Amino acid sequence: MKDCNIHIAIVDPSHIISEGLSNILLKSDHHFQIYKFDTLEEVLSFRENDKINIVITSPSTLLSNEKDYKSVKKTLPKVKWVGIVYSFFDKKTIEQFDNVIEISESPPNINKIIYSVYEKKCDCKKGNKSNELSEREKDVLIELINGLSNKEIANKLFISTHTVASHRKNIVSKTGIKSLSGLTIYAITQKIISIE
Amino acid sequence: MYITKKMYIKPDMKLSDFFFDNPYLLLMMEHFNLNFVTHEKTIEDLCNEHSINTNIFVDIANLYNGFNEISAEKYQKNDIPTLINFLKNSHDYYKEEKYPEIRDLICKISTINETAEIKLIKTFFEEYFNEVVEHLDYEDKVAFPYFIDILNKKESIIKQADYSAKVYCDHHTDIESKLMELNNLLLRHIPLGKDSSLRRKLILSLFEMEYELKIHYLLEENALIPLVSNIEKNIK
Repeated sequence: MKDCNIHIAIVDPSHIISEGLSNILLKSDHHFQIYKFDTLEEVLSFRENDKINIVITSPSTLLSNEKDYKSVKKTLPKVKWVGIVYSFFDKKTIEQFDNVIEISESPPNINKIIYSVYEKKCDCKKGNKSNELSEREKDVLIELINGLSNKEIANKLFISTHTVASHRKNIVSKTGIKSLSGLTIYAITQKIISIE
Repeated sequence: MYITKKMYIKPDMKLSDFFFDNPYLLLMMEHFNLNFVTHEKTIEDLCNEHSINTNIFVDIANLYNGFNEISAEKYQKNDIPTLINFLKNSHDYYKEEKYPEIRDLICKISTINETAEIKLIKTFFEEYFNEVVEHLDYEDKVAFPYFIDILNKKESIIKQADYSAKVYCDHHTDIESKLMELNNLLLRHIPLGKDSSLRRKLILSLFEMEYELKIHYLLEENALIPLVSNIEKNIK
């Protein structure tokens, strides 16, 4: 299943800042999942922190907790950093961020800044058909339900076992179902097979 | 699009406050065998009163709030019985309360939505439930008693047993993923008949179960197993 949300962690002890920012982001056209944290330490222990795409925090948070900042960078190397700047900081501190939001920034610009550091391609607005199985995937599914092994399916459908494996992977990611009995139920609901 | 912010729990907090933030913590109290009407008590008070390591309590509570700070290094081998009791109590909750509730809902659904798919869901769940019970019984009857023996240094037993925490790891089947499959089938694929309110209840119940199992699994993997393995290393 695809996740179209951009996951943003706002790390700021100030409620005015975090509430304000999340309100602006949530009112935009994009899909955001927002998590609020008081400190970077909380981000580190957050159970689903591997989902986070962007961390928004102030330069002073970085300066005062350099150790935590480094650990977050190490644990989550792909995360983009956006600074929320409401006073003067030297250039070197600011340069640690991928981009910065000034306190006086307008909402449309804030969205642009977020998008400048991270863009998630998603097709959910184009009447998402991507979760439907292709004809070939359906063929593989039927043989799976018939109890054939990857190799047997490959021989029967004149494709390589590697291709069978990749079809299987797609079937699981499109349907969210892994077990054979679950896939059988799926195939019946989609009328790919019928029970006599 | 929504905002997630759960309280980060600390030992000086009043227990009653955090139930309002996350009522699932009531379940945690039950798993600890604790009364959840705690008046003005703080976490620290309660842990001292019941001789529970405050670190473990706070870490588990935070786990319920989404923060994972479980790490065996912070606990001692004397915490093993606390952990085992917690896990055993959760097993009882799954076997006697949660899974029967799920099964009951599926049965009710099958009486008003008599399609082939729902019949198959019923079979799917029955098979799954048997697997789960088998796994939980195995932990209760084989794995946990062995861990307690090891803690009490019953060396004769340990040397005889060709069993170890490693075997326990291998035995760990992924009980969670089938629940997710059920939710996928019920939410995305099987057409809704007249069963909408029952199906909603069932889906919510499945999500609750999944949430519980995630916590359970993290406790076993990151706390209990490393603690036991450490003792094994010293004995064997």
